[in-house]
Amino acid sequence: MAEVRPDEISAILRKQLSGFESEVDIYDVGTVLQIGDGIARVYGLGKVMATELVEFPNDVIGMVLNLDEDSVGCVLFGESSLVKEGDTVKRTKRVASIPVGKELLGRVVNPLGKPIDGKGAINTDKFLPIERKALGVIQRQPVKEPVQTGIAAIDAMIPIGRGQRELIIGDRQTGKTAVAIDAIINQKYTHTEEAKSLGIKPVYCVYVAIGQKSSTVAQVVAKLQEHGAMEFTTVVVASAWEPAPLQYIAPYSGATLGEYFRDNGMHSLVIYDDLSKQAAAYRELSLLLRRPPGREAYPGDVFYLHSRLLERASKLSDELGGGSLTALPLIETQQGDVSAYIPTNVISITDGQIYLESSLFNSGVRPAINVGISVSRVGGNAQIKAMKKVAGSLKLDLAQYRELEAFAKFGSDLDQSTLRTLNKGARLVELLKQNQYAPILIERQIVSIFLGTRGYMDSIPVSDVKRFEKEALEFFEVKHKDIFETLKKEKDISKDLEAKIISAAQDFLKVFKKTA
Amino acid sequence: MADFRILHRYATSLLETSLEKNNLEVVTSDIQLLVETLEQSRELQSMLDSPVVRPELKLKILREIFSKKISKETMDFLEFVISKNRESLLNSIGKRFLELRDEHLGIANVFVTSATEFSNEQKSVLQGRLEKILDKKVRLNFKTDLNLVGGFIAKVKDTLYDASIKHQLELLRKQFLTGEISLN
Repeated sequence: MAEVRPDEISAILRKQLSGFESEVDIYDVGTVLQIGDGIARVYGLGKVMATELVEFPNDVIGMVLNLDEDSVGCVLFGESSLVKEGDTVKRTKRVASIPVGKELLGRVVNPLGKPIDGKGAINTDKFLPIERKALGVIQRQPVKEPVQTGIAAIDAMIPIGRGQRELIIGDRQTGKTAVAIDAIINQKYTHTEEAKSLGIKPVYCVYVAIGQKSSTVAQVVAKLQEHGAMEFTTVVVASAWEPAPLQYIAPYSGATLGEYFRDNGMHSLVIYDDLSKQAAAYRELSLLLRRPPGREAYPGDVFYLHSRLLERASKLSDELGGGSLTALPLIETQQGDVSAYIPTNVISITDGQIYLESSLFNSGVRPAINVGISVSRVGGNAQIKAMKKVAGSLKLDLAQYRELEAFAKFGSDLDQSTLRTLNKGARLVELLKQNQYAPILIERQIVSIFLGTRGYMDSIPVSDVKRFEKEALEFFEVKHKDIFETLKKEKDISKDLEAKIISAAQDFLKVFKKTA
Repeated sequence: MADFRILHRYATSLLETSLEKNNLEVVTSDIQLLVETLEQSRELQSMLDSPVVRPELKLKILREIFSKKISKETMDFLEFVISKNRESLLNSIGKRFLELRDEHLGIANVFVTSATEFSNEQKSVLQGRLEKILDKKVRLNFKTDLNLVGGFIAKVKDTLYDASIKHQLELLRKQFLTGEISLN
């Protein structure tokens, strides 16, 4: 410990106070009229702006939300017991903002940009407001590049494009977060030299955790670190114990972080986990601010709450650098009820949704994606041609399978063609099962789906499908590496390549040993 | 807080009528007297607040106190306020009226808090400077507060011109906390 000598202190005090004579500080103030439940009503602050940050005593920061005729309503980001009636409130003349930039990658911050990972201060002087206007029509262009999630079921049938907003919806414990985390981990590929040489631009990720247990967030961060995904990811945390105002602004902070990359011609993927908790936090806040409650006690502007957030996801026009912000909002439903207020709102805002079902999850289909009702409204344009070709028949086969699934119980009483459809469907469902934290590269996904839809697995028992896939991919990797290389480069299956894959597949079938 | 709209409305109408009738001076001094009296006498204010006392009686009491001291126009206004059952707000209406009047005449009310009493010379210098900055006539109200340690704070509406040692020390504390100044 360095010693502090009293004469040093007095020297500094003298130096700092020597310029006192000329310094008159001018600032605007108000007085706290009423305080409680994290809400302060302040008299004065005549010229304050909406969403401006204000300073209370004891270093408590607040944000102005209500501007009334003779008073303003503020929410507190700190302990409300530190603020008393009659206290002076100071304007900061700064709307709520957050530091942005590449310096934040690898960091865990709170919604105001304060680091909470113990790695020291963040050295950036770039600040952007948390609430920003979404872009207009002129500045945008349709999505055209894919975001590969590394999950075969999604990349094949519910493709997501850069700049899209795709909702992940499901009950608790259905693997929503797992899908999102896998998507982040899979972006690691976009940061490699190989991706660069193929013209795939890196995707920077932001994971916004709203109202979750701190332990869960710590686990997620540890997992991201373990898979080397933290280097290009920022985690924004407003845990369950934190005041509702922080949970309310967290997604906007995350969007601002993503927008920095978008506006500078880069690509970002922002995950809001989850928006139901944010809506609940906003409801708490609104009721305390005495805004009138509506359906399910949510305030009237809860639709705007989510629409203005998700509208910020966009693909910029080429003149503006062609950057993108892809949003993956998560919504937790109660017992599969998607017709509740918040789920219907967010479904209508987003460009598609991925349904996760607990019945599928419990019967062992993981990721528990119900591909029948999951859709992606715009991602198809972004899908690479090769995947489009194989996914078409996959979708059809699975749809036919679902239609006939109920008959599966009758077993041998069915005619040949029905049996064939059922057989193939069961194998395809098995093929799309995937372990957590094990994203699959796109060219491998294409080959395995190709094998599945072309019927190379029909003679294999369902229990062997995953082993078949694994060994087939290994076989291709060792003996026919050129197939993967061509797929990566040309992104299409030409007649030539198709023939190559077929002959390789036939070779493999000869060597594959079924379990006895 | 809903009260604000009400008292603002009454105060504006009183100001506008007095401007129309060209008797602002008289009404102002009347209202000043009224506000002072209400501030000094708790009993009078609680009588006005009380719903038990009938309005006619309230009016009678106010007439007895004020009729000789204030103009007829102001008395009419008091009567009007009582007839609308807003007599409990009289004090606030009066204060709001005085504020609006100052605004109308371009007078800024400046509240100066200082650690030590200002000398007359200092007062006039301060007045001159403030009038220049605000481009308005300035009425100064002085108060001393030893907590400031030294210097002064001038408050104009919601804006503070803070030249106190207390504020400087607070800034210094913050600089230490954020590490802008370090001892090593």
